[in-house]
Amino acid sequence: MSVAETVTTTPRSGRLKVAAITIVGIGALVAWVLTQMSLVSFFAQVLNGLSFGAILFFLAAGFTMIFGLMRIANLAHGGFYLMGGYVGITTVLVTGNFFLGLLAGGASIMVLGVFAERILLRPIRGLEKPEVLLTIGLTFVIGDLSLAVWGGDPRQVQLPEFLKGAINPFGTFFYPKYRLFVLGFAIVLGGVLFYIDRRTKIGAIVRAGVDDRETVAALGINIKAVFTAAFMFGAFVAGMSGVIGAGILALLPGQDFEILLFALVVVIIGGLGSLEGAALGAAVVGLIDSFAKALVPELSFFTLFAPMAIILMVRPTGLLGKVQ
Amino acid sequence: MTRWNELSLTRKVQLGLLAVAAVAALSIPFVADTFIIRLVTLSLVSALFAMSIDLMAGYAGLVTLGHAGVLGSAMYGVGYVASKTDGGIALQIVVGFVVGMIMAAIFGLMAMRSTGVYFIMITIAQGMIIWGLASLLVNVTGAENGLLGIRRPLRVTSDVDFYFLVLAVFAVCSILLFIVVRSPFGQALKGMRESESRMRMLGHNTAFLKFYMFLVSGFFATVAGILLVYLNEFVSPSDVILGASAIPVLMAILGGIGTLIGPVIGAFVIVFLRNWVSLELERWPTLMGLIFILVVLFAREGLVGAIAAWWYRRIDKGGRPATAAPSVLGAPDHAEVILTESG
Repeated sequence: MSVAETVTTTPRSGRLKVAAITIVGIGALVAWVLTQMSLVSFFAQVLNGLSFGAILFFLAAGFTMIFGLMRIANLAHGGFYLMGGYVGITTVLVTGNFFLGLLAGGASIMVLGVFAERILLRPIRGLEKPEVLLTIGLTFVIGDLSLAVWGGDPRQVQLPEFLKGAINPFGTFFYPKYRLFVLGFAIVLGGVLFYIDRRTKIGAIVRAGVDDRETVAALGINIKAVFTAAFMFGAFVAGMSGVIGAGILALLPGQDFEILLFALVVVIIGGLGSLEGAALGAAVVGLIDSFAKALVPELSFFTLFAPMAIILMVRPTGLLGKVQ
Repeated sequence: MTRWNELSLTRKVQLGLLAVAAVAALSIPFVADTFIIRLVTLSLVSALFAMSIDLMAGYAGLVTLGHAGVLGSAMYGVGYVASKTDGGIALQIVVGFVVGMIMAAIFGLMAMRSTGVYFIMITIAQGMIIWGLASLLVNVTGAENGLLGIRRPLRVTSDVDFYFLVLAVFAVCSILLFIVVRSPFGQALKGMRESESRMRMLGHNTAFLKFYMFLVSGFFATVAGILLVYLNEFVSPSDVILGASAIPVLMAILGGIGTLIGPVIGAFVIVFLRNWVSLELERWPTLMGLIFILVVLFAREGLVGAIAAWWYRRIDKGGRPATAAPSVLGAPDHAEVILTESG
């Protein structure tokens, strides 16, 4: 079933109205938020939201690519994040090198991802629901084994010296260096991914595969190798983002599901199967979460409900999802 | 009424087993100890919840992984009135019921335009958001500490009396579900499972049908939630975690998806297995995850499917397969040949 068949589309005439209402709504929301906090803390919350969004973007980019190509909603992505983070933390503790930790977190989960794709998922390839259910079973195993190995205490990654502390560019505005590093990292990675997606042969194959797998296979491209590569990429980035995320949010059992929720909302809002959708959704969800945590901490999960509900009602494929 | 002699062998055996189950259910309190009675009670409540999920997953083909949000909302509704106000039992049950049904309606409105994997993802997000509320909204839910002070109604405070109450509610709900799945509405759900586009072509408003399905399924989930909160006399965020939504789906598949008896069998197997394993070792979630993986890989027909396959091959030749596993968990009719080839 293609993406288009699973949903109904909004007629074009309604779109302008929807866009106008959205802009007015967001404007009113920002105005209200500005009455609640100073401009400096507003700016800080924007950066907080975007740096959390950066982590969500790493996760959602892999998730959405795997889904676009293989139609597998990999619910083990949260587990990948958690376990990758733990492996990274341990590696940094042992070697003292943060970047080696990133690599180890990514590589270990990449191996796990290849195992999951080749051994577990291949026998049920094409069976949509069993694939999803299998990945959720995998999440339980990953989460529980992580608990067995790393215990239940919150753990943070040891940051390198040059990323510790805060910068103070204007004399009055302190901001943690690490969060800016995460944001920069996401922008660079996003740029590279967009370049690969738009300008290289690999990107062309992936985009073609998202649109029409049979034709790509008929053109002589080994689609199975593309699938495995996509899964490896998604798993690597998920594991790496766990290490990066462990510098901002302490890792603890249960966070696999929490981060999975955020990643799902990102792709539901942004639209499945598109890199732009992942970037936009991650920014939106990151910002909503950061302002919600500052203004209405008790409702901070609930605030994801409203935008998700609205988008599902007006545009079930998400903001930038493919509508054919 | 059909005469006994006119029934097929299969039907006779089914009715016989039902009678045996009824006798067993009524005699358990007189032969088993309190511990077993509590486990059987929990199994019955889990079975009711799993059946409510199977109405969606098995009959309509829409797998939900967020239904603990409905169950949990009802539990929190009861718990809030019981522990934060001085409302009586009647008010507790009414509030629990209303909160559960409202949540089912909201879930339905959000998910009614989606299907397949999208539907699964949206329901996960819904369930997890309820979990987020449960763990953060301290004033209402008590966060990690949960809500204490919930007490069973006076007449059913003992485990045996409560067991009979649960058994009665379970029996009534089973009969209602039996009627629902055979009604035109139940047939429409099955039609949606086989092909949603064809149902739409036939003039069915499938979005409305899904909304209605959420309400009907939500009703049974809400009832299960009210029973569960009185069984445990406690509610906490662990009642609405993703696992709480996923395990009943596992129960339904393990027993036999798309049947009413399947989720019941699955519920008893999982509840007793979990209890037995938890006594022996700590790693129940790992084992549960492995069962999930193995069932999905090798046993999608479930126990009912396996027994029915043997039965129709050996004893009552010519019968039809019992579960909906081929259409829910099998290849969609558009599955590409390239992708399903092995190797």
